[in-house]
Amino acid sequence: MTLLALPSARDEAWRWSDLSGLPVIADSTPTGQPRAIDDLWIDAEGPRLLFVDGVYDASRSNPGPVRVGPANAHAGAHAIGKLAGSTGWALTLGEDAATTGPVQIVHVSTGGANHLAAEIILDEDAQASIVESFVGEGWVNRAASIRLARSARLMVARRFLHDAGFQSHADTAEIGQGASLAITTLVAGAADSRLDGHLALTGIEGFAEAGGALLGRAQQRHDAAFVVRHAAAHGQSRQLWRAVADEQAISSVAARVEVARDAQKTDGEQSLRGLLMARTAAVNLKPELEIFADDVKCGHGATVGELDRNSLFYLASRGITPAEARAILTHAFVADALARIGEDAVRGAFTATADAWLGA
Amino acid sequence: MLKIENLHAEIDGKAILKGITLAINPGEIHAIMGPNGAGKSTLAYTLGGRPGYEVTNGTATFEGADLFELEPHERAAAGLFLGFQYPVEIPGVSNLQFLRTALNAQRKARGEAELSGAEFIKLARKEANELGLDPEMLKRPVNVGFSGGEKKRNEMVQMGIISPKLAILDETDSGLDIDALKAVGHGINTIMRRPDRAVLLITHYQRLLDYVKPDFVHVLAAGRIVRTGGPELAHELEREGYGQITDEIAA
Repeated sequence: MTLLALPSARDEAWRWSDLSGLPVIADSTPTGQPRAIDDLWIDAEGPRLLFVDGVYDASRSNPGPVRVGPANAHAGAHAIGKLAGSTGWALTLGEDAATTGPVQIVHVSTGGANHLAAEIILDEDAQASIVESFVGEGWVNRAASIRLARSARLMVARRFLHDAGFQSHADTAEIGQGASLAITTLVAGAADSRLDGHLALTGIEGFAEAGGALLGRAQQRHDAAFVVRHAAAHGQSRQLWRAVADEQAISSVAARVEVARDAQKTDGEQSLRGLLMARTAAVNLKPELEIFADDVKCGHGATVGELDRNSLFYLASRGITPAEARAILTHAFVADALARIGEDAVRGAFTATADAWLGA
Repeated sequence: MLKIENLHAEIDGKAILKGITLAINPGEIHAIMGPNGAGKSTLAYTLGGRPGYEVTNGTATFEGADLFELEPHERAAAGLFLGFQYPVEIPGVSNLQFLRTALNAQRKARGEAELSGAEFIKLARKEANELGLDPEMLKRPVNVGFSGGEKKRNEMVQMGIISPKLAILDETDSGLDIDALKAVGHGINTIMRRPDRAVLLITHYQRLLDYVKPDFVHVLAAGRIVRTGGPELAHELEREGYGQITDEIAA
């Protein structure tokens, strides 16, 4: 029996997550029979890494500059992230270095629990793009540490597509002067998820973007909790989340912007929107602003609603069936969040994944 | 083509239409005029099947079928087109995608072959050019950022592509400048003025009827058709206003 000390719904930061099933999942045994993953590789040049139940499969990988081995995810303070341990993968790029195409990492699980840490360090003006896809069953737990030096740029896109089990991910980022980090997440599987992020803008004129789409149906629970901390002046941040809930699902987003006393001229923006596909579903949105500087611009919006009835009738009046009309409007609702992904091939693949979920 | 008999309809339990009888034959253009609050838009929405518009009595037969037995999208596939007074903006969905989905859904419902992307784009460009809508606007999200005139031209482009048997146009002329009004009039004439098609034109003012000559003009007041005549009736209303008619009802 694994001894797991997990946060409960009594903790404010975990009130919308249900972790009660994790000990049982963690005690189950992986089947070791991974599903086919060929469809997950996006047609783009670049390094590819495959992890099966958290174990690196060198025979089916081409890691490029990524090293598999020790990694410090700096997640010791995070209730689940700390379980990720100190091995996994690391990407370190020197000054002006760049990856050729996106680094694609596929994590396939066959049951039980697997934990991995990741560490990404980009030196001045370095550039990288990382695309991760999580599939299979069981509990997949990841923690990542990201450190960006002056003017470094990192784009991260993640798809959580588990058929069963649980998916958790925790990011910790330090964004240096003029550096830019954009993390886009798509949750479109059949398993519950919990996503955490703590992104700190430590240099002036930094840029942070965190957002994505949580798609839930059946009894799924999806919960994203991201904090952007402006510790230096002239920073910009964007948080754009779209939460969809159908049947008895609960999709929740807590997004916080913290502006320290010295972080003048901060420009922070939050757009949280929820879409209820059924009266039995629930969406929780919690936008938070904590501002100690006096010369900042922080905008936030949070709305939850059903599909617009006028739009549905307009589509119907042109001959579009109710099911197709709902799919079109839901797709449009989600597309906003995925539009932030820079590379066409990656955005196309994520959009197709979302469409498949919506059409299912 | 469309036969309405003794139609009563209500919204939120409030009776709006109180016994409308009207027959529209192929090749005819009917105009319905009337003061604000007479029930003109309610008639259009009730025929289109908008949720919330409750038919409490009467019948409507469209091409031999009971219109009220059909869902809104089935009415469209059967050949009914509803032109909106306020076309809805749909962010995130391009005009082209919207129209192709609509046309192919209708073709599929009628057992016809769906159009390929290339065939469709050719058709859409032709209709846009015909109606003076910049074909680039077809790539933009449906009606988002369109001016009032552009939205109405877009409705006409949709009508041209969908090519319905009967068009019910709800105050298509409202909020249009004279150029857009001419373009919309031209659109109605070229697309719908044919022996096998018909139009029910709902309007508050006589202006559009300078460009689209109606065969019949009906005056709707307080949920009933109170007068029917030829094109001259529209001019009479323009000269004398609706006051006299509403007075007659009150008397």
